[in-house]
Parts: sequence; structure tokens; C-alpha cells
Amino acid sequence: MAQKIKRKQSLHQRMKNNQKFQAVMTVVLPLMFGVVLIGLWEGQVLHTWFHTDTFALPLPSRICTIFGDNFGKIMKNVKPTMTVALIGLFIGSVFGYFIAVLAALFPKLGKGGLSLIGAFASIPVVALAPVMNNWTKDISSDASIRSMVAKIVVVTLISAANMSLNAYRGLTELKPYAEDLMATYAAKKLKTFTKLRLPNSVPYIFVALRVSVPASIMTTIVSEYFAEYITGVGRQIRECIVLAQYATAWAYIFMACILGIVMYVVLMITQSILLRRYH
Amino acid sequence: MKVFRKRNKDFISLILWLLLLIAAWEIGANIVEHSKRSPENILPHLGQIVSAVCSSKPVANGETAIAIVLHSAGKTLFRALAGFLLGAALGFLFALIMKISGTVEKILSPYLMLIQLIPVLGLAPIVLAITGDINLSRVVIAAILSFFPVAANTLAGFKAVEKEKYDLMYTYAAPRRVIYTKVLIPSSVPYFFTGLKIAAPIAITASILVDTLQGDGGLGCMLSQSLKHAMSIYVFWIIVFFSAFIGILSGKLMGWIESLVLPNLRAARRR
Repeated sequence: MAQKIKRKQSLHQRMKNNQKFQAVMTVVLPLMFGVVLIGLWEGQVLHTWFHTDTFALPLPSRICTIFGDNFGKIMKNVKPTMTVALIGLFIGSVFGYFIAVLAALFPKLGKGGLSLIGAFASIPVVALAPVMNNWTKDISSDASIRSMVAKIVVVTLISAANMSLNAYRGLTELKPYAEDLMATYAAKKLKTFTKLRLPNSVPYIFVALRVSVPASIMTTIVSEYFAEYITGVGRQIRECIVLAQYATAWAYIFMACILGIVMYVVLMITQSILLRRYH
Repeated sequence: MKVFRKRNKDFISLILWLLLLIAAWEIGANIVEHSKRSPENILPHLGQIVSAVCSSKPVANGETAIAIVLHSAGKTLFRALAGFLLGAALGFLFALIMKISGTVEKILSPYLMLIQLIPVLGLAPIVLAITGDINLSRVVIAAILSFFPVAANTLAGFKAVEKEKYDLMYTYAAPRRVIYTKVLIPSSVPYFFTGLKIAAPIAITASILVDTLQGDGGLGCMLSQSLKHAMSIYVFWIIVFFSAFIGILSGKLMGWIESLVLPNLRAARRR
């Protein structure tokens, strides 16, 4: 009967092997880093490092005050930005998935089309946004509507390109022998599609969304810079900079970050609910 | 041989789609030409754009359209390249540090996520205000934007190393430094290049965008000037096509460099 010898471990070792401690540290360490960073910022240490003043890099406390004071106005600008981002993301993702399905059904033609779309994905937004502004001039006599359509089109294109590339991989990169198995069942092509390819593509949809959700906000903000009608979080950042109101601009940047984070968290929650049976 | 034929087939279908796209553009241009007063603002014929590229008529400051575009492209791309290289180097370095120290990884990984969610292009004016120098701010923003994809992908590469490889190195009693130089860093190279492929077009977009915020030349500056009809509108179209082309090319270029680098590595490993 070999008795277990209990050896005293060093504190470092014990900390390393304690799961609970490690889990706590994953939360505590980044939080500490954030607090230190904000502390350095508020204490104007960052200002001495970057050789700048509190005018160009306003203190966090001041940004928060302004954020609170202008909350109504900021929310009024959040609405158009979110509308554009969400509508563009939705239409683009559905459209992109549709393209991927077509490409998977007709692979001979589809592959070339997809590599063209892949090329589209790397076209800079700055080149797309002004073109779309020109193309949507006739849609409405109301500047707010036509510039919104222009922005939505840009976001749609970006998300569609992203979704179609990923969804195509999901529809075609099947588990080995899965296709052969369907063949031994003498399954029709349609049946193979609905029973094998579509379910296989679901995780890839989320891979695409994880890229295109932040990208849709980023794209909306950039196309707002070029839009005809002055509205939205992105445009306000630029307008405030032009007027040298840096603290207000920071408040809008703060809002833009919150939008990005909230949308990402919503996506993650949706994913964990929908993909539960995959894991 | 079979692979070659397959690639050829894909190439043919790509050409087919490209022709379709050109045809659609030209049909659109024809419709616009007959229904609008100034068609060149909305959808000019491709031929008109090409002839604007070739024409020797000066459009602004006694320079031809193509000269202006190439001149400002040089500036923009140089800044984009500087930022890209800086961001890629820092991204690799941070990924390495995060691999070496678990504590650093714990501290930084949520922030690596956050950088991706923050609209950094929205920060462009702020960085400009802080650095005070338009050139420096362009480099900094291109660097911030290329940093994230490179760091995230390289770190994924470090983590994807199989346990068997570690075990083998332990049986060799290899010191940590050797594990890094012989196993971890070489096997992260393909992932590193995946990061570079994503980062390259982003760096160019960032550089062009920051151009539009303040003067001092560059593609974005010319883009907004020609949109305001300060010079021929064709300059705008040339820039649009040029930046699209550069964006696509930059990604392809990274793939090409990768294919240059990786066979060597593979051959070296075989030896």
C-alpha cells in the first residue's frame, strides 16, 4: 500500500495548479490593467508620455460628464447608425448566403464568381462609399433617405462578400465520407443539401458574423464620413473634430465602442443558444 | 497535371464573371448616358476612364490625371506600408510575448478582442489631434489596424502546435529557447501570413481614409477634391479603380510572399 506522499509545493506552483484561482485571474488581471490605464489617463501620465495636453486627449472624467450631458443627442445619432448597420448586415448576410448556396449548387461557375467576390471584399470602403452616394442620387428627393440607402448598400456589399465566402466553405467542406454516406443512402441531391450541407454550414455562418458584425459598424461609420446627409455617430465624430470639440468627439467614440461591444455580445449569446446542440 | 487543369477551369469561370461584370457596367453606363445630364459623375463608360488615364491633358497644377494619382498614391502607399510593417512586427512580437507568459496573455487577450470592436477609423481624427503630424498619424493608425489580425492569427498559430511536437522536444531535452526557434515560430508562420493577408488591405484603407481628413496630398485627399469638382471627375474614378486594385493586389502579394517563404522552410525541414 503505497501511501501518497504530500509534498509541500511552492506558492507559485499551487497558484498555477488551482483552477479556481486561474479563473479568477482571467477576470481580475485585465480589469486591473484597465483600471491602471484609466488611472494613468486621469492622472495625466499618458499626456506626458504622448506629449499632448488635456485638450486633444480629454480626461476620462470630462468625457463621462459630456457623455451624460449630451446623452439625448448621442442617442439620436445612434439610431441612424444602428439602423444602417443592422439593415445592411441583415440584407448582406441573407444575400451572401444565397450566393453561397448558388455557388455550391453550380460549383463550375460558382468558384470563379466567389473569387471575384473575394476580391470585392478587399476593396477599400473609402472607394465604395462615394460611388454609392453617386448611384443613389435618384432614389429619393429627401437627402436623409437617399444617403441612408447609400450607406446601407455599402454595408450590404461588405457583409455579403464576407458571408458568401464563409458560407460556401461551410456548404462544401464536409466531414470526410459524409457525402459518400449520403450516396450509399441513394439520397437525392436536394436531400443531401438539406440534411447535410445546410446543417454543416451553420457554424460557418457564425464565423462570418463574428467578422461582419464589427465590420458593419466600422463600415457604417466610415460611409457616414462621406454621406451627403449629416447624421450618425461616425459623422458626429468627424464634425466635432472639425469644430475642435475633442471631448465631445471622444464621447461619440465611446458610444461607437459600446455599440460594437453590445452587438458582439448579442451575437455571442445568440451563438451559444443556437449552437448548443452542435457541441 | 490534374491540378493545373482544375485551376485553369476556375480561371476561365473567373474571366467569365469578370466579362459579365464589365458588360453590366457598360449597359448601366449606356442607360445613364441617355437619362442623365452629367453621366460621368454617376457611371462613366470604362473606355472614358481608360482614355482619361492615357490623356496628356493637365487637370490640376499642370499635372495629368494619371500623374496626380500615381504621385499621391506613392505617398499614401508609403505611409500604409510603414504602418503595416510596424503593426505586423509589433503583432508578431506581442503574440510571442503572450505565448511565453500566460499572465501577459490573460491581461491582454480581452483587449485584443476589444481593439477589433472599437472603430479605430473613428479614432483617426483623435490620433491626428494627439500626434499633431498628419504623416505620423497615418502610420500610427495603419499600424494599430494591422496589429490586431497579425497578433490574433499568430497567437492562434502558436496555440495550434500539436502536443506530440512538445513531447518530442521534451524527449530531446530541448531548452525552451530551442523549442521556440525550432518548433513554435516556424509552425506559426502560415498563420502569421493569414494575418498579413487580412491586414494589408486594411492598412491601405486606413491610410486613404486618414488622407481625406486633412490635406497634404495622398489618394484620399485627391478623392475628396475631385468629388467636390475641384478637378476632373475622372480623377475620382481612376482613384476608385486604383484603390480597389491595390487593395486586391496587396492581399495577393502577401500570398505570393508566403509561397516564396514557405517552400524554403519545407525544404529546410526535409533536409
